[in-house]
Amino acid sequence: MSCQYSRRQWLSKAAAAASGAYLARGIPGRAAEAPASRVAVARCRTYSPNELLPVMEKMFDQLGGLGRLVNGKTVAVKINLTGSPTYRVGYLPLEDTHYTHPQVIAAAAHLMGKAGARRIRILESPWSTADPVQEYILRANWEPRDILGAAPNVEFENTNFLGSGRKYSRMKVPHGGYVWPAFDLNHSYEDCDVFVSIAKMKEHATAGITLSMKNCFGITPCTVYGTGAGEAEPTLIPKGGRGLIHSGYRGPSKSAPQELDPKSPREDTWRVPRTVVDLISARPVHLAIIDGIKTMTGGEGPWIREEQLGVAPGVLVAGTNPVNTDAVAMAVMGFDPLAVRGTPPFERCDSTLQLAEAVGIGTRDLKRIEVAGTPIAEAKFDFAAIRRKRRAAPPPPYGTRG
Amino acid sequence: MLRDTAIEVIDPAAAGSGGTLVKGVWPGVRMSRRGADADAGPTGVAWVDSNAWLARLTAARHPGAVWIDAPPEGNRPGTPQQYLITMADSAAAGARWLITLDNALAVGIAGRDPKSLAAWRRIGEASRFFAEHAGWAEWAPQAVVGVISDFAGTNEFMGQELLNLLDRAGQHYRIVFKNRMTADALTGLRAVLYADQDPPSAALRKQVLAFVESGGRLITAPVWGETPGKLSGPAAVPGYTERALGKGRVTMAAAAPDDPYVLANDSVVLVSHRYDLVRCWNSGAFWSYYTLAPDRARAAVQLLFYADRGPDAASVRVVGRWRKATISTIEEPAPMPVKLETQGEAVEIYLPQVSQYAALQLEG
Repeated sequence: MSCQYSRRQWLSKAAAAASGAYLARGIPGRAAEAPASRVAVARCRTYSPNELLPVMEKMFDQLGGLGRLVNGKTVAVKINLTGSPTYRVGYLPLEDTHYTHPQVIAAAAHLMGKAGARRIRILESPWSTADPVQEYILRANWEPRDILGAAPNVEFENTNFLGSGRKYSRMKVPHGGYVWPAFDLNHSYEDCDVFVSIAKMKEHATAGITLSMKNCFGITPCTVYGTGAGEAEPTLIPKGGRGLIHSGYRGPSKSAPQELDPKSPREDTWRVPRTVVDLISARPVHLAIIDGIKTMTGGEGPWIREEQLGVAPGVLVAGTNPVNTDAVAMAVMGFDPLAVRGTPPFERCDSTLQLAEAVGIGTRDLKRIEVAGTPIAEAKFDFAAIRRKRRAAPPPPYGTRG
Repeated sequence: MLRDTAIEVIDPAAAGSGGTLVKGVWPGVRMSRRGADADAGPTGVAWVDSNAWLARLTAARHPGAVWIDAPPEGNRPGTPQQYLITMADSAAAGARWLITLDNALAVGIAGRDPKSLAAWRRIGEASRFFAEHAGWAEWAPQAVVGVISDFAGTNEFMGQELLNLLDRAGQHYRIVFKNRMTADALTGLRAVLYADQDPPSAALRKQVLAFVESGGRLITAPVWGETPGKLSGPAAVPGYTERALGKGRVTMAAAAPDDPYVLANDSVVLVSHRYDLVRCWNSGAFWSYYTLAPDRARAAVQLLFYADRGPDAASVRVVGRWRKATISTIEEPAPMPVKLETQGEAVEIYLPQVSQYAALQLEG
């Protein structure tokens, strides 16, 4: 019999097998006790505040009301502004494809303010810069005042560096960590009572999907965990992406906690899902909101070399447990949340949901999760079918963007 | 003049007699020695060499034609795209590139090699295009900041590099010579930058502080000296403090700037991207030159894309209430209508596939 594998395919399979062996040894068995909580799903066709605000308000009510969560509290909101603000999918605005839409951010802030939030900090670690987030989003053609004016005491902070803090906050991973025992993060992730992840509903080249959990990968400051991070101490300004977390080719600044096992796999498809679980363990998510009104298929941003489509699933998903919420969102996307490595959308990577469930953060078993609002079957937008069709064709050529 | 081109044949030694000849660089994205990876600026942005700032500075200093002597780096063979970039980089800013071919191209042309002849024809087409549209560079450059300096002596490096790097940061600037300030030198600007090593003269100080009091911003360093107004706290960028003065602000660096890259990029944020005159998406490394016709009802935005492949699905936001836009390129010189979308006080224009250069002509 002749060999049907190319060298690349063979290496990929060999890596998967090695990771699988490591996985079998490394996954704890707390899935059965992982909590389940209600997840709200709603159809929402547009970003018009007239439609969006009542829909989101109803969803939060279905989750028990925002006041219970935010009244009198400092709320930190991690949004998703991945990649450069000058890099679009075709001619489409960034918020219609891979950035969390500003109207969703503003609506969430408005409703939090209405529910009594004392302070609302909108957080992101924008690509390779220490510029204020306001300046970054202007380059995306957004108006910062739309968000800052949504409620009293709304502010932005760039968490890709020390920011306005005096020192980095050391945040420990309670379950001990898959890869990291603790992280050094911008103070905003510690100086808050409530942490909210507002994500975009997307596939992801490295992690299969990116939803409320994967959104938190970006809470790591690149001054410590980035390509240009200082060897001994963090740099003053961030430079480049998070290549050192992806591939483990070097460690973060020595001032920060180092990896638990430098001999663990160096593949991003092994490391990124585990790092995400370590991050959401260290910085638990109290409210997960997933913007699937308009988004893209084919990956997390325009730099991914798969055919990309701007799509309008017209759906929002929200919950108080990020694993439960992501599980429901996966089902809305046409994927099986119980999928493991080797099955879509985790053909090449481990499932962040499985890893999070295994350490007891939340269940991904839909049988245990109550869905309020629109039933999954009615909200479904079949990313999985588009993925199958896309992958049956050769990838498109690269253009010049950036 | 060479047939069917606007290429003028001159003796390089005599180029300076009818104007000014200055030494430039072979423009484009600077490649590393391995050739595969582009060099990057301090924050990972591809490093671009350009003569556009030099063309403007020289023209502001010396009346008459400006010639840029920028031969292919190390006499390495240039691609047709690189020749187009080189010509446009000078010509869009109103100067003329002293055509210098690499040996391989020159030999190819002499030997009637079809590829070399095609490259030569393209250089001719480009020269004709820019000769026909020389007026665009003579219109009034639109600017957000004024760079005040003498750009000479101890201020040569900082002053000149600031111009170069403001271009890279996408900021539109006005060159302001501190020793020949006119009464309207700062009119229409949002901010001025003063990074010279010597303190300002009393007259300059008075004019700039009046500009601040009427709503402008001064970005400077301790060399500026005592400043009236009330300390209002740290600025949007670490390392600077702000004072409120009248309707404006004085933004003072904690120390004398030593890195023009940092100062250029800091200044863009200190002024705010809110006032960007041109924003571009999916463009890669680019430069834009926005000039307004004397009737103020027409404008030109010349766009230069430094990558070897032209941008794909690029769009451009230009400040101004423009109603109509057309695009011209070297390959398609006749103006073609392009889709334009009004966004408040600006318009967004969706570009078709273009090569390294495109000119937008706007009408109000």
